Amino acid sequence: MSLYFRCEPAGTQSIPSFRSSNSPTIGTVLKHKRFFQIFILTLSIVVSSLPISARAPRLQTPQTTTAEQVSGEKFTFGKVDLDLLSEINLLDERFEKEGAVYHDPGLDAYLNRVGMAVVSGKDLENVQWKFHALRDPVPNAFALPNGSIYINTGLLALLDDENQLAAVVAHEVMHVTGRHTYLRNRSVRKKMLAINIINTIGTWTPIGGPAGLAINLIATISPLMLALSVLGYSRDQEREADLEGLKLATAAGFVPDGMPNSFKSMQKDIEGEQLGAPSFYMDHPKLQERVNYTSSSIPADARKLSADEAKHAQDDYLAVMEFVDRHDVDLAINEGRFRSAIYVSQKLVNLRPESSENLFYLAESYRTLGPRNAELTTKQLTSGAKKKAAKTLAKRTLEEIDAELLKTPEGQEAWKTNSAKSESLFLRALELNRFNARAHRGLGMLYERLNRKPDAASEYAKYLELAPNAIDTERIRRRLMVLRESMQQ
Amino acid sequence: MRLRVRFVFVILCCLLAHYGAANVQAQYINTKLVEKKVTIRSAIILPAKVEITKESAKGSEMMVAESADISSKVMDAVGQVLQKKKISVAPNLFEATAMDETRKYTLADIQNRYDALLPKLINKSKDIKKARFTLGDEVMLLNVHKDADVLVFIRGQGRMFTKGKTAFSIINIFSFDFPFALITVGIVDAKSGEVLAFTKPLSASKVLKDPKALSKMIEKSLKKLPAAA
Repeated sequence: MSLYFRCEPAGTQSIPSFRSSNSPTIGTVLKHKRFFQIFILTLSIVVSSLPISARAPRLQTPQTTTAEQVSGEKFTFGKVDLDLLSEINLLDERFEKEGAVYHDPGLDAYLNRVGMAVVSGKDLENVQWKFHALRDPVPNAFALPNGSIYINTGLLALLDDENQLAAVVAHEVMHVTGRHTYLRNRSVRKKMLAINIINTIGTWTPIGGPAGLAINLIATISPLMLALSVLGYSRDQEREADLEGLKLATAAGFVPDGMPNSFKSMQKDIEGEQLGAPSFYMDHPKLQERVNYTSSSIPADARKLSADEAKHAQDDYLAVMEFVDRHDVDLAINEGRFRSAIYVSQKLVNLRPESSENLFYLAESYRTLGPRNAELTTKQLTSGAKKKAAKTLAKRTLEEIDAELLKTPEGQEAWKTNSAKSESLFLRALELNRFNARAHRGLGMLYERLNRKPDAASEYAKYLELAPNAIDTERIRRRLMVLRESMQQ
Repeated sequence: MRLRVRFVFVILCCLLAHYGAANVQAQYINTKLVEKKVTIRSAIILPAKVEITKESAKGSEMMVAESADISSKVMDAVGQVLQKKKISVAPNLFEATAMDETRKYTLADIQNRYDALLPKLINKSKDIKKARFTLGDEVMLLNVHKDADVLVFIRGQGRMFTKGKTAFSIINIFSFDFPFALITVGIVDAKSGEVLAFTKPLSASKVLKDPKALSKMIEKSLKKLPAAA
């Protein structure tokens, strides 16, 4: 948006002064300048609105000439694309280096199997297919244009079966095969240049009167329009990836319902984060819209899972994901996504109710949930309430929010319920496996918060005895020391 | 006439940008440090995360390798400043190649905790004096040396302009679009996780290219941090 200095109202006085000027040369120059400015403005808008071609821009020297068939058009790498690719490769390495990628041999093999089935031998220039789990509890997935596909642990935990996972992978694969990142980059670059030119003209236009006003108006509005067109372009690409991805996953032998069902899984607004912005501000179509158009594009005679098959598919998937889900619960707790932690750990307990480890995760989730309710109420899911909660979260720390909630009767009631649930789950976990050291630790932390100091000290001591070399030994030892000191006083 | 006024305004803006934004310092110290209830004798610097981007007339581009390079330079600069204050700095304990997956994950989780707190540290920096912010005793999961008093978190972002973008930013001065480097340094108690000191120096982006200017900026920004002796 242009921000320009104005020392008088929209130039109504300027034109008469030019007309009555004694120097006709200045008037002529300004008249030509006005046409020139209008011409440049129009050119910028027209050029930036042209469709983006898969060919390299003519001004760039093509580094490679090999191209593949993408959406019926050959994609040729230009210098800009290759520069982007080299940065992306470095980014890939950085994710690994910073511990952002979750590694588990079983999971890596599983993701690779599903991913390669979807890709089905697609060989593309400058693409090497890799499928990773990203350590992030937010439900999301993304593809880098070099073929690295990242699925957040938060999404893996939210999905219900392999067909949904294949749908997510297929969607991301379509972004890579469609060269969407490169095309969007080209589009953004062109539009940014146009915005810069338009802003400059808008800032420096010395013309008053209706023409000056028109130029200023165009210069003010067009950058916004161009910015919105970038979002619109992104939404088109997402829609294309959804629909083509659906075909790809189906061709690979997965059940087509996986695509709309994956969106339905994502619609669970566990943390109350889906704020429902107007669709033209979004770079993705709305989830309900995606459910609708993918569902309607599935042929009536397409393969469907029976209730039994669906249950088996769900159990098989959850069994593979058990370790990832546990890891995701830890991540969710670390990032203050306590309701997501409850949701995922409850899934784990439903899968194996007699697993001491799974019970520990559910108990830990309830302990950290504190004075919050386990599920958001209808009132908390209204748009206004969600915006208010987001604002509070931006201003307050989690500890402050906890303290504020504990002052309310609802918060006190929730804490009473959650702490009781947590205690019974910890005790059940210990009943099933008395050597579950972390259950002792969790119980110790719960008792410490409930001000049951001797019980807390006893549980911490048991933990240290059972896990003398654990990663948090020093932390617990310090807590125990502080507790014992306070008990002596 | 209107053009003349604009030119005067542009020149004023340029002068302000040069002298004003060239080096803006802001430092906030927890009262525990000021009142010497806590003394910092040794520090561990965690891997810095400084992101720089190249801004051209056609938008911004990532500079991943340069960001990694500048991150290590900022770490060195902070280390040198701390040593000048007689605070011993442990050698880099978090070399990516030397860490196993579990340690990498633990480090990433602690860094994420800090990143989640960072917007509040930036927006409500004054509250650091009141000891409002903490990362919790989870910081002890890093199992750094027992004698380490504090952990140092470094974050930053910077924008480097191409010639074309510089030209546009000068012509289109009213968009207030300038190259800059903002580095934040958070000093956190290694046991309780309490934020003891925080600085957010803002400077022109030349510090990203000039190590001496960078050191000077960091030194100024940590001026109020009490020395160990």
